[in-house]
Amino acid sequence: MIAYVAHRLASLIVVMALVGVCVFLLLHLAPGDPAAIIAGDNATPDQIASIRAHLGLDEALPIQFLRWSTAVLSGDLGVSIFSNTPVATLIGQRLEPTLSLALATLAFAVPVALVLGVLAAWRAGSSIDRASMILAVAGFSAPAFVVGYLMIYVFAVTLKWFPVQGYTPIGESLADWARHLVLPALTLGLAYVALIARITRATMLEVLAEDYIRTAKAKGVSTGPMLLKHALRNAGVPIITVIGIGVALLIGGVVITETVYNIPGVGRLVVDAISKRDYPIVQGVILVFSAVYVVINLVVDISYTLIDPRIRY
Amino acid sequence: MGTTRRRFVQGSVAAATLIAAPAIGRANETPAAAKTLKAVMQGDLRSFDPIWTTANISSYHGALIYDTLFGVDANDKPQPQMVESFGTSDDQLTWTFKLRDGLGFHDGSPVTAADCVASIRRWAVRDGAGQHMFLRVKDISAKDDKSFAVAFSEPYPLILDAFAKAGTPVLYIMRKKDAETDPMQQITEYVGSGPFIFNTKETKQGASYVYDRNPKYQPRSEPASGMAGGKIAKLDRVIWDNVADDQTAIAALQNGEIDFYELPPIDLIDQLEADKNIHVEVLNKSGQIVWCRMNWLYPPFNNVKARQAMLYLVNQNDVMKAAFGNPKYYRACASYFGCGTPMENDENTEWFKEAPNKEKAAQLFKESGYDGRPVVILQPTNFAVFNTADQLLAQWLREIGVNAELAASDWGGVVTRRAVREPPEKGGWNIFVTSASGAAFGNPITLVGHQANGEKGWFGWPSDELHEKLRDKWAKAQPQDRLAVAKEIQRNAWNFVPHVYMGLYLQPAAMRANVKGVIGMPELIPFWNIEKT
Repeated sequence: MIAYVAHRLASLIVVMALVGVCVFLLLHLAPGDPAAIIAGDNATPDQIASIRAHLGLDEALPIQFLRWSTAVLSGDLGVSIFSNTPVATLIGQRLEPTLSLALATLAFAVPVALVLGVLAAWRAGSSIDRASMILAVAGFSAPAFVVGYLMIYVFAVTLKWFPVQGYTPIGESLADWARHLVLPALTLGLAYVALIARITRATMLEVLAEDYIRTAKAKGVSTGPMLLKHALRNAGVPIITVIGIGVALLIGGVVITETVYNIPGVGRLVVDAISKRDYPIVQGVILVFSAVYVVINLVVDISYTLIDPRIRY
Repeated sequence: MGTTRRRFVQGSVAAATLIAAPAIGRANETPAAAKTLKAVMQGDLRSFDPIWTTANISSYHGALIYDTLFGVDANDKPQPQMVESFGTSDDQLTWTFKLRDGLGFHDGSPVTAADCVASIRRWAVRDGAGQHMFLRVKDISAKDDKSFAVAFSEPYPLILDAFAKAGTPVLYIMRKKDAETDPMQQITEYVGSGPFIFNTKETKQGASYVYDRNPKYQPRSEPASGMAGGKIAKLDRVIWDNVADDQTAIAALQNGEIDFYELPPIDLIDQLEADKNIHVEVLNKSGQIVWCRMNWLYPPFNNVKARQAMLYLVNQNDVMKAAFGNPKYYRACASYFGCGTPMENDENTEWFKEAPNKEKAAQLFKESGYDGRPVVILQPTNFAVFNTADQLLAQWLREIGVNAELAASDWGGVVTRRAVREPPEKGGWNIFVTSASGAAFGNPITLVGHQANGEKGWFGWPSDELHEKLRDKWAKAQPQDRLAVAKEIQRNAWNFVPHVYMGLYLQPAAMRANVKGVIGMPELIPFWNIEKT
């Protein structure tokens, strides 16, 4: 196991190196010039050229890459071209909202999805099954911004139960933190409910048809323990895989929800940076998140051993 | 020892208290909601240096925390702000300025003439008006702590207009040590002497920006008017929330979560006007002009006939209607100096009465020797107004037989490509569309797009010797003589056609009904004088 983990962590370095090269080249070869954006609409071409020179953007790409990669290796992700703030600080400031949203979404989506999936499999073909799957299809099909606007209209503007937008750090007020996360978590969670419920139903249907389940029933095991202890645990590997992928997607892919609910998370940070060609931020965020993806996948793989003793590394 | 329910509750209360402790501490310092204005501005404040970048939002930030030597009033006339008295020598070559008493930076240090001189020097490197002025400046120096002088090689009556201009970059007075920063690099400390103090501690970059009232600020005694008059901060705190989504900002305004929304989309204005808790108002009466720049370096627009054809081709009302819908918020504009500005006139605008005239446009293109080559239009798909204007322009060009090609990208791609001087087929371009404040068009010196000095000038690189001579004549003219020169400039401009206008729109702002005292002016949103009733 230790050798496996060490091997996976070593692969992290290779992955990050490849990601670093790709991101750097993609950004610098794509059209767009931060100097022109900084200079604004009234600047002359000469002024733009002067800003470009001060930012070091007129140097050859290999030299720029060398400078950036050397700094990254020493733990320095660089400084934002526009705000002059270290990229690590900016990511740190945006991490809490994104992690809060991801955790709140999972806290809502996973239990609801498991219940729906198990019930749908247990009563396959019944009205419970159909209702669950209709909900799942709706969750998949409705775009997050449409669900978000509807939620805002109903629960914030009309009923005034929750705020329209914004984020309060957990350290400032626990109650406000929770109030601000309810609608975004519901909005984002619907798709994950759908995803996890469908995979749970499909896997549970397979497991419920196994001989050992029939044996358990014949031995008089009641429905609850039979579903949760015997069936769900054995259906766990694919479900955990999907939840793991979901966590990775939640951390990196919540741009629309963050935008609709005005949550200052990492998703918005990177989208804003792309539109302004703030290269150090985009490079830094992608580098950090490639590491997060690898680590999450590693955690998911290790968790298999906890639910299925047959799996060994 | 097991955990009892009582112990669990006690533990939970203690943990909640610990988590909330910082908030309880802060609550004592937070100004009351009635004295706090939450605003959603045009975009995120990415740079805090209003000289280094010309982004409007950074200039707004500058207006909050920095003060200016002069400011334009509601009639666009320069009025003294930090300056107590000023005068010029008999030969009009030397201007002297004396600062008023009681001016101090937020760190407690007094504002001195040396701060002003350093600030002027840094600003002049980045500003078109400053550059124009410094071509004639022989010397600028502090005479004592409160006085400084500017010596010219020839009379320069525009000095006050340059010092007072509200268009970015504005001449904000910084501490000498900040102003001595290379103009091509950002300052790192944000200490001004203006009516609000930048609260860096509570600012969350990318999310919200906090400004607190400067209790030591001594406003002028005159009533507030534009950037002139008494800058009385009636609010204790101004917070800019960075809300990227229009619909969310509108819902937040309706819900009372924000008080002011600078740029609500015009197609949603009806919804806001119907809400009795919300007030909608056009703050910049000179509007925003959408204009089309043509590349003078390559065919077909290196030929005057092709440029003249564009005057007859564009239907300004159609562009505005497609982009904004409600005619209450747009109009067509023929004057080279914008509409509603002091220099507006109707010299040489016969084309405007005739346009659109596609037959004439086609004829002029033919006379230009147009050979069917592709005409590349830079199309920023993430900028709705320009995107619409570009698509209409392409369609009209195709209708008269011009091979128009739309080069789609985001706005960041457009601002990069428009600086390329290569031929269109090698990464250059023929046309791009942009916009600028209507007020800016009223001054042929301060708007860089009014230059016609070839490749030294602004994108499109128009070149016309007479135009440059007339701009110089305007700069030297006394204020009462400027309109006559402006007419000469316009007569010549609409002959050689440096650019073409595509319409003027008025952008309303939306605010809660209890927000009073917002000063309407072009280029800036001042936050002094505003109160919540």
